[in-house]
Amino acid sequence: MLMKDSAVNEQIKYDVAIIGGGILGCFAARNLMRWNVSAVLIEAEDDVCKGITRANSAIVYTGYDNKPGSLKAALTVQSNRDFAKLCEELDVPFSRCGSLLVAFDSEAETVLQKKYHNGIRNGVNGLKLLSGAEVLELEPMLSANVRVGLYAPDTGTVNPWQLGIAACENAMANGCDVWCNETVSNIVRSENGYWITTSNKKVHAKAIINCAGLSADQVQNLLYPAEVSLDFDGADYLVMDKAIAKPKHVIFHETAEGKGITAVPCTEGNLLLESTARALTVPFASTLEGIRSVKDTVKAVLPQVDTTKVIRSFGAVRPNLRGRNGENISDFYIGNPAPDFYSLIGVKTPGLTCADALGRSVAEKVAVYLHAEENTAFSPVRKGIAKTDGQIICQCEQITKGEIIEAIKRGATTVDSIKRRVGTGMGRCQGSRCTYAIERLLEEEIHGENVRRAKETI
Amino acid sequence: MEKTCVEQKKQYDILIIGAGVAGLSAAKSAYELGCRSILVVEHTNYLGGILHQCAHYGFGDGLNGPEYIQTLLDAFPNELEYRLNTTVIGIHADKTAVLSSAEYGVQTICFSQLILAAGCREIQAGALDIAGTRPMGVYTAGQMQEMINVYGILPQSPVVILGSGDIGLIMAKQIAEIGGEVALVEQNSVLGGLERNQWGIEQYAIPVYFDTTITELHGEKHLSAVTLGNGAELPCKTLLIAVGLIPNQELLDGIGHPDWLHLCGNCNRIHAMIESVVYEGKKAGISACEKL
Ligand SMILES: Cc1cc2nc3c(=O)[nH]c(=O)nc-3n(C[C@H](O)[C@H](O)[C@H](O)COP(=O)(O)OP(=O)(O)OC[C@H]3O[C@@H](n4cnc5c(N)ncnc54)[C@H](O)[C@@H]3O)c2cc1C
Ligand SMILES: Cc1cc2nc3c(=O)[nH]c(=O)nc-3n(C[C@H](O)[C@H](O)[C@H](O)COP(=O)(O)OP(=O)(O)OC[C@H]3O[C@@H](n4cnc5c(N)ncnc54)[C@H](O)[C@@H]3O)c2cc1C
Repeated sequence: MLMKDSAVNEQIKYDVAIIGGGILGCFAARNLMRWNVSAVLIEAEDDVCKGITRANSAIVYTGYDNKPGSLKAALTVQSNRDFAKLCEELDVPFSRCGSLLVAFDSEAETVLQKKYHNGIRNGVNGLKLLSGAEVLELEPMLSANVRVGLYAPDTGTVNPWQLGIAACENAMANGCDVWCNETVSNIVRSENGYWITTSNKKVHAKAIINCAGLSADQVQNLLYPAEVSLDFDGADYLVMDKAIAKPKHVIFHETAEGKGITAVPCTEGNLLLESTARALTVPFASTLEGIRSVKDTVKAVLPQVDTTKVIRSFGAVRPNLRGRNGENISDFYIGNPAPDFYSLIGVKTPGLTCADALGRSVAEKVAVYLHAEENTAFSPVRKGIAKTDGQIICQCEQITKGEIIEAIKRGATTVDSIKRRVGTGMGRCQGSRCTYAIERLLEEEIHGENVRRAKETI
Repeated sequence: MEKTCVEQKKQYDILIIGAGVAGLSAAKSAYELGCRSILVVEHTNYLGGILHQCAHYGFGDGLNGPEYIQTLLDAFPNELEYRLNTTVIGIHADKTAVLSSAEYGVQTICFSQLILAAGCREIQAGALDIAGTRPMGVYTAGQMQEMINVYGILPQSPVVILGSGDIGLIMAKQIAEIGGEVALVEQNSVLGGLERNQWGIEQYAIPVYFDTTITELHGEKHLSAVTLGNGAELPCKTLLIAVGLIPNQELLDGIGHPDWLHLCGNCNRIHAMIESVVYEGKKAGISACEKL
């Protein structure tokens, strides 16, 4: 992403600094712009939404999983209702495909019943407990051994980084600055706020919103001892070729041992398969056992899915939030160690579903603290990059040169950031045919001429 | 439908998808049989297909890829109509094809006979059971061949190549030739590919790890090593995947194999020798003309 050219100014001042440009930071930024405040979003990577936001299940949950009365339950139910409107405002594809939580044994049946009643208490619409036969009628791709299912018609799916990038673009259009390649390394108090040291800059902010994802506890620890800490586990994912037969609904699989695999028919047309949780190895690395166990389990749950047609596999990192005594904290946690400092720490599922609501909640708190006035010029609307006719660069996904150039105009500076804006290289050849052509377009657009890339030496 | 096409001069007797050796051979033979309504459509901005990037010798009479293309183009009828930077994005059962290009946008073309000569693509790393991180430095062998031979970009050494088929062997030899450190990993206990391509391995004493495969990638941003099936780690900065080719037949999804369709070249089946590609292309041109 490009940033405003204030790099040389040593004394940059903002009302609010948002640390971390994952989906939560992007939505905090977007919602801050509803008030008359100046703000900067500071991201360590070369683009936004490359952390947890890049490796998750892309599901918009309904809220039947969450404990009645919890913040999670309330935000999830409300966010699900508002999701179509949000995606319309931000011009991001959203598919309300519905979900089936299915079980193959009697022990798991009781879990489904519990979730059903939870859901009813939480106010989730349209939930139905179905017999095996009824499940198969809705989703004939499931194994005939299915015993029961919990149907949730309001479950949906959205591309998480597209949504985050859309929120970021919307924040920028409303006046927020975005800095990439800037890691926050130190924070000190000043008379009326904080001095924040980043990789290349020093910036003053009257208030901080900490959305640093996997490092959010550490960022808060720079100044305030956090009452919570994070530890991590992992999961493995497979992305399947678009051409295979796939279920129409999100499929959750409940086993006697707990949560099994998840299958998500994504908005792009690929089926995404997720393993059960496992111990973390290297962050964002997948494991062979995980990849193989997903394939084996899918064969039993969705026997008609052709598990040989994988186009990509990847690993994910799940943060687990712990209290002072190491106890698990299952609800969303908003840290507030000082009136001018808010932290979203350890937000895992359903953080994507609730990103706008969580971002709005912290933005509102900060705005109230700053006595900020409402920004009457705020526009919630952002236009996505439209499909255009013309020369095709990415053959698998049929992405044109015009779309790629538009992504570059909007700030993409790498092949990867173009990929996440227009979908190039997401298909069955995974960029093996178009990557170099895109690199050349980047050079032409950014340098104004076709500069030869510096030769790497052997 | 056909009527509108004629009015808009978007009707051809033969539409050929792909201007590689197969498509060019098909076009030439159909032309020589008297057909004058032929359109060749090519995704890239050059004629000749994959040979464009084959700097090694071994095509026809001891030529390299670009030289071989030149002999084909020299014999190519001038009147033949072709469009570069144009991609066929759909074929329909009513004998229409949808083209996309900067010049004409999205355009529908009607044809009587269709020759599909769209070549093949490589199996890429994501399709394999390889765990680990997803760092930079992982390419398909053909992708690296294009980077080196067409754009002059060299891979970071050391290089590991998975698969010892012809493309893996050709790339191993080329990287050794330009001074890179290279090793091959092959799941079988013998080298694959043509004998003439195996010589380079001996000539440059390139290490080959037989009876194993790559199970894991390492490196946070850039590749630093790969793990082999036996647990050994090979430090490397570049990994080339050379485990096979898949005919580009996706355009046929949903239309099956009607009698107006003719496949040739790597799009039909994977060829090791250019002569058989030329032969199949000619045959496709002839059978398309016969059906007119
Ligand atoms: C495996 C998995 C599956 C999930 N599936 C779903 C789902 O299906 N549906 C759903 O609703 N939710 C899901 N979630 C939850 C959701 O994905 C997360 O809640 C959400 O993505 C968290 O976003 P984030 O912005 O907190 O984190 P991130 O995306 O990780 O963003 C944090 C950012 O902060 C930056 N950063 C860190 N430290 C610094 C620093 N010092 N200076 C500057 N920048 C810094 C990082 O580079 C990163 O970009 C899932 C989560 C996981 C782990
Ligand atoms: C790396 C490599 C090395 C080889 N080395 C040798 C050798 O040393 N000696 C030898 O005899 N043989 C060799 N061969 C074999 C032989 O040369 C090739 O098999 C042959 O060139 C294939 O020709 P083709 O026309 O079928 O495919 P290609 O050359 O791949 O042509 C297909 C064309 O179709 C175009 N296309 C694809 N889809 C579309 C679409 N939707 N719309 C428009 N255009 C499209 C592509 O851009 C491409 O130009 C080699 C092959 C490879 C891959």
